[in-house]
Amino acid sequence: MANSVLNVESLNVEFNMEGNYFHAVRDVSFKIEPGETLGLVGESGCGKSVTSLALVRLLTQSARVTGKIEYQGKNLLDLPERDMRDIRGNEISMIFQEPMTSLNPVYKIGAQISETLLLHKDISPREAFQQSLEMLKKVGIPRPEDIMDEYPHQLSGGMRQRIMIAIAMACNPKLLIADEPTTALDVTIQAQILELMKGISKDLGTSILLITHDLGVVAEMCDRVAVMYAGQIVEQGSVDDIFFNPQHPYTRGLLNAIPKIDAEQKQRLQPIEGNVPPITRMPKGCRFSPRCMHASDRCRAQQPGFFQVDNAEHLSRCWLNEAKEA
Amino acid sequence: MLKYILRRILELIPTLIGISLISFIMIHIVPGNPVRILLGNRYTVARAAALTKQLGLNKPLWQQFLIWLWNILHGNFGYSYVYDKPVVKLVLQAIPHTLVIVVVSVMFAHIFAVFLGAVQAYFQDTIFDQVVTVINYFFYSMPSFWLAILLIIFFAIDLPWFPSGGIVNPQATNPSFADFLHHLVLPVASLFLVSVAGWARFMRSSMREALLQDYVRTARMKGAREFRVLFIHALRNSIIPLITLLGLSLPALLSGALFVEEIFNYPGMGLLYWNAIMSRDYPIIMGVTFFLGVVTILGNLLSDVLYAVIDPRIQYQ
Ligand SMILES: Nc1ncnc2c1ncn2[C@@H]1O[C@H](COP(=O)(O)OP(=O)(O)OP(=O)(O)O)[C@@H](O)[C@H]1O
Ligand SMILES: [Mg+2]
Repeated sequence: MANSVLNVESLNVEFNMEGNYFHAVRDVSFKIEPGETLGLVGESGCGKSVTSLALVRLLTQSARVTGKIEYQGKNLLDLPERDMRDIRGNEISMIFQEPMTSLNPVYKIGAQISETLLLHKDISPREAFQQSLEMLKKVGIPRPEDIMDEYPHQLSGGMRQRIMIAIAMACNPKLLIADEPTTALDVTIQAQILELMKGISKDLGTSILLITHDLGVVAEMCDRVAVMYAGQIVEQGSVDDIFFNPQHPYTRGLLNAIPKIDAEQKQRLQPIEGNVPPITRMPKGCRFSPRCMHASDRCRAQQPGFFQVDNAEHLSRCWLNEAKEA
Repeated sequence: MLKYILRRILELIPTLIGISLISFIMIHIVPGNPVRILLGNRYTVARAAALTKQLGLNKPLWQQFLIWLWNILHGNFGYSYVYDKPVVKLVLQAIPHTLVIVVVSVMFAHIFAVFLGAVQAYFQDTIFDQVVTVINYFFYSMPSFWLAILLIIFFAIDLPWFPSGGIVNPQATNPSFADFLHHLVLPVASLFLVSVAGWARFMRSSMREALLQDYVRTARMKGAREFRVLFIHALRNSIIPLITLLGLSLPALLSGALFVEEIFNYPGMGLLYWNAIMSRDYPIIMGVTFFLGVVTILGNLLSDVLYAVIDPRIQYQ
């Protein structure tokens, strides 16, 4: 589709570690449509954060990023830094996992929200202050007038994440990248924050890239899902495709690991055995093969490409899907 | 806050008594006798006995100390043996000169060190950073008096750009402000260079840490320029520890000033103190020590207060 908000094509991220480059993200492609929420799921260390930081070009110097990140007809990777700055916080925003440390401890909340507005909009500090106050109301902060004048340490984690959302949404961006926005919060607050994000995305038509390792969150929030493993997307499709017709053994493994209330009461959770490999020691062939029950010799030797499953949007990177496709 | 400051000032009192007691004991432990020095070659046993009695040095030490304390309570710091003038007057004459040297060098050193350390941290591990680090170590490991001597050799003797001592040209009847500044350059430079080195090193590591914090990433995410990220977001956080250091390094600076004044023959507290020690001028030694104690403690208090001003998380009760 020509008018996707973001079109990522074969994105690669390599880190320079003592002179050698290692892939943390390999050949990742996805699109985000206007108003849509795309979930990016996977265990810890799969490369979700690296992917999201690559999108806004905030990775460290040691990272080499190649591929294409198409935004409004331009490849963000080719943009001069100055143009990229104009996009960050303005058209593409991001919120992070750690609300406790993501705000600057020495500046007042009001100043921190206004800053984004002042950086991008041609408005007076007074107007910026007014708009920040509006934003605080929008993200459901009680006593917004007082909070404008307070410091981050006076607020709870949930409040701070609301502030981060206010900062990220202040300029009404087209895309919000949320990297595990609720992982650090307790369950009731999590639900509130997710609800807030959902509401805002609906009201303002913002697309969201929601990064999480919690499939429950995905079910709640997302239209489509990309499942990531060891730096690659292994399965991609609509929420229904992923939840009701998962193909990749890794996706199935993740689904088995979420608690189900309706299922037989004492069914044990089944976490997938083993760990995500470090980027310096990626297995040959299919990267999931060492942990996969169905792995064959071919899986261990040869890396599978994507195979289409039941519809054109549902893709799986598993040899088992080759037969089905044909 | 006010209450806190008041309490801190009250806490000053026992500390000052302690400092005075220790320095009192020290000056009486070291060999040397003011009477012998004062009389010089007019020395006779009878004259010595008379002068000793006149100065009150014949009383037991504990009595001498209590008398001194008692007088201080009444604002009387005694008379200098050598100059025969009130200690307070001598100290007040000397303070402005020391203050000028210390304040000017501390101010410039602090600003420059913050800037240098911040930029070094930003360009950490580049050639620039490494070269500056080596230069820093060079000055850091150098005592201020030695640096002062080198500066005199290079910039007062080899290249006669600056005077090697004094506050103004002694020949001038009506010395100008420019002349005064001209005399200030080398003493200030020696204190400046020594302090910059240490502070820049400290600032560099503090800034390195700040640059790794999540709020720095947030600032970049907002679309802030690197200049803003460094000097608005990271800087304010990374100078917080430096402010404590400022308070703590005040005594070191003053003692640095002591040597520098001695070398440049600059008539500040340092020179006064130095000469007093050489001639065993007890009232001046005690008076200046007392004064330095007050300044040190007030410096610490000042840095605590600044700390609270800069870091909103700190609250004093
Ligand atoms: N700056 C870096 N230099 C070298 N390796 C890195 C760097 N940043 C991340 N990595 C590596 O890249 C891999 C992916 O990390 P990433 O942070 O993207 O994981 P994640 O999926 O976000 O996990 P989590 O759920 O824990 O946040 C990890 O193996 C990590 O060690
Ligand atoms: Mg992460």
